[in-house]
Amino acid sequence: MKNASLVMKKELARVFKDKRMIFSMFILPALIMLVIFNLVGMMVDGMSKDVEEHVSTVYIQNATENAKNVIAASGYDKVATVSYVGEGMGTIDKIKEDILNGDTDLLVVFDTDFDEVYKAYTKSGDAIPNISLYYNSTTNYGNAAVSTFNAMVVDPLRTGLQSERIGNLEQLTVFNISETIIANEDKKNGQFLSMMLPYMIVMMLFASAMSLCVDAVAGEKERGTLATLLLSPIKRSEIAFGKLAGLSILASISAVVYAISSIFSMGSMSKSIMGVADDAGDMGKLSFSAWQVIGLVLIMITLVYLFVAITSLLSILAKDIKQASSLISPLYIVVILLGMITMFTTGKTPADFMYAIPVYGSALAIQGIAVNALEPLQLIFSICGNVVCAAIVTFGIKKAFDSEKVMFNA
Amino acid sequence: MIEVQDLTKVYKLSKSKMAQLKTNSNIKRAADGISFTAKPGEIYGLLGPNGAGKTTTLRCIATLLTPTDGHVAVCGHDTVKEGEQVRESLGFLTNEIKLDPFFTPKYLFEFFGHAHGMTDSEIAARKADLFGRFGITAFEDKKIESLSTGMKQKAAIVVSLVHNPQVVIFDEPTSGLDVITAKSVLDLLKSLRDEGKTIIISTHIMSEAEKLCDRIGVIIDGHKVAEGTVPEIVEKTGAADLEDAFFVLYRDNHKEEEYNPQKAFGGARK
Repeated sequence: MKNASLVMKKELARVFKDKRMIFSMFILPALIMLVIFNLVGMMVDGMSKDVEEHVSTVYIQNATENAKNVIAASGYDKVATVSYVGEGMGTIDKIKEDILNGDTDLLVVFDTDFDEVYKAYTKSGDAIPNISLYYNSTTNYGNAAVSTFNAMVVDPLRTGLQSERIGNLEQLTVFNISETIIANEDKKNGQFLSMMLPYMIVMMLFASAMSLCVDAVAGEKERGTLATLLLSPIKRSEIAFGKLAGLSILASISAVVYAISSIFSMGSMSKSIMGVADDAGDMGKLSFSAWQVIGLVLIMITLVYLFVAITSLLSILAKDIKQASSLISPLYIVVILLGMITMFTTGKTPADFMYAIPVYGSALAIQGIAVNALEPLQLIFSICGNVVCAAIVTFGIKKAFDSEKVMFNA
Repeated sequence: MIEVQDLTKVYKLSKSKMAQLKTNSNIKRAADGISFTAKPGEIYGLLGPNGAGKTTTLRCIATLLTPTDGHVAVCGHDTVKEGEQVRESLGFLTNEIKLDPFFTPKYLFEFFGHAHGMTDSEIAARKADLFGRFGITAFEDKKIESLSTGMKQKAAIVVSLVHNPQVVIFDEPTSGLDVITAKSVLDLLKSLRDEGKTIIISTHIMSEAEKLCDRIGVIIDGHKVAEGTVPEIVEKTGAADLEDAFFVLYRDNHKEEEYNPQKAFGGARK
C-alpha cells in the first residue's frame, strides 16, 4: 500500500500546491456561504423593520361609537392613520383601487345598521351585524395592517359587546387551558438543527465529492494522464485506493468548511428569520457531547468515502468530463431527496434497520445526533450500511480499472 | 529484449462502432498473429497506415492491453502474468498519454521515480543527468499546462525515462512536433540505442523509419506482412525505396477496400 499512499499524496498535492485551488475549494465556498446567509438575514431584517416602522393607512366606514371608543382606548389611532368615511360608493371604490395599488393598507366597513342589528338580537336565528375587511394580501403592509387591527380593535370590540350582552363574560368560559412544555433540553435546542443538518451535510458532502472526482478521474482519463499512471509499476488497485483516499480527504475538508461556515452563518441569521427557531430551540445554546461528535465524524467519514467512491465509479465509466457530469447529476438529485426526506419525518422513531440504508440511514443518524437521541445500534447500522455499500462500489472501481473497455474505450 | 509471438487482439464492436467503421462484423482483429523480436541495441520500427494495429501492439507490450491470444515478453517477463516487472523495465511514450498539466516537470519526475521504487538520491542523480541533457532545468518548476508543445514533449520524455528503462517504446515519436524538437527526439532514440537499450517505435512517416530503424516490421490490417532491414524490404518488393515498397505491400495485402493512399494515410503522406 506504499504506492497507494504515493498516489494519495499526489491527489492532495494537486490541490494544496495550487493557491487557486485552495481558494476555490476551501475559501471561496465559505465566503459565499457567509455572504449569502448574511445577505438573506439582512434583507429579512430590513423587511421586518420596514413593516414595523410603516404607519398603516386605514379607512373605516360607518364606524360605531363603540368602535371609535375602542380605537381611542387601545391607541390604534396612534399606530395607524385612521380616516373615518361616510356613505358613498364612489369613495369606497377609490379606496379599494388605492389598496390594489398599495397606497392604502386597509378598509374596514361596518354595516350601516350595525348597532341596531346588534341590539335587536334576542334569539338564535336573528340577524348578526357584519364588519368587512378589505386589504391586499400580497403586500406585507396589508397583512400587517389586518393583523394589528384585529388584535387592537376587533378583539376588544367583540369582547366588550359580548360582555355587554351577557353581563358576565365568565359565563362563557367553560374551562381554562394551561400549557407547560416538557421537553428534553438537548432535543428542544437541536430541533431546528435536526431538520436542517442531515440535508446540509448530505448535500455538501456529495457536492464536494462530485466537484473533485469528476475532474480527478474523468478529467484525468480525458486528458490521458491516467494512462501515464497506469504505465508505472503501481498496481491498478493501489491507484484506485490512493485516488479514493486522497479525494475522500479533500472532500471531507471541503465539506467541513461548508458545514462550519453554514452553521456560523445560520447562527447569525437565526436572530432575524429564525423566529421559528427561537421557539423550537436556541442554536446558540447547542453543545455536543463527545459521543455525538464521534458519531457525527464516523458517519461523515463513511458517507464521504461512499460519495467519493460512487462519483469516482461513474467518472471512470464515463468517457469524458461531460459524460461524467451527466451521469452524476441525476444521482445528486436522488441524494438531495434522501437528505430532505428526514425533514418531513414524524415523531415516530424509524425502525433500526432503516439506519442501514446507505445515505438515508446516515441522514436519520445525523438527525438523531442533533437531538441527542441516536442509539449506539442505530449508529452501527448506519456506519455499516455505508461501509458495505462503499466496499461494493470500491470493488466495482477496481474491476473498472482492470477493464480495457472502460479505461481505453477499447 | 522484446519478444512478441502470435499476438492477437480482438475487439468486440458496438453497433455505433460498426457503423463508424462501415462493417457488418461485430469483431475487429486489431492484431492478428503478429510475431517479432526486438533486440538490445536496436531500433525496431513498426510501420503501417492508420488503424493497422501498431498502437494496439505497443499497448499490449506496455501491459495497457491484454492480448486475446499469443505471448508477449519484455526482458523475459510475461506481460500478462508479470505486468509490474514489465512496467519497471519499460519506458513508454505516446502523444495520447500525457503528463498531468497541474504539476511541474520536477514534481512528476520525482513522483514517477518514487513509483519505480527509486530513492531520493537516485532520483536526484538521474534528474541532474536528464534535465541537463534536455535543458529542462530552466522550466522544471513551471506547470506543464504553461509549457510549449516542445517543452511538454521533453518533459514527457524525461519522465518516461526516469527509471533508466531497458526497453523504450515510442508511439509516433515525432507526431505533432516542430522540426527542431523532432530532431532532438530522434537524436535521443539513437543515443539510447547506443547505450544498448531495446527500442521500438511506431510510425507512418517513411523518411523517419528509413533514417532511424535498424529493422522494420510492416503491419497492415493487423498482420505483419514484411520484416527486415530497409534494403531487405526494398529488395523483396522490387521497389525503389521504402515508400514505394510500402505502397506495394499495402496494395498486395489490404483486401477490404480499393487501394487508396489518400484514405489510408489520412491525407498525410510524407
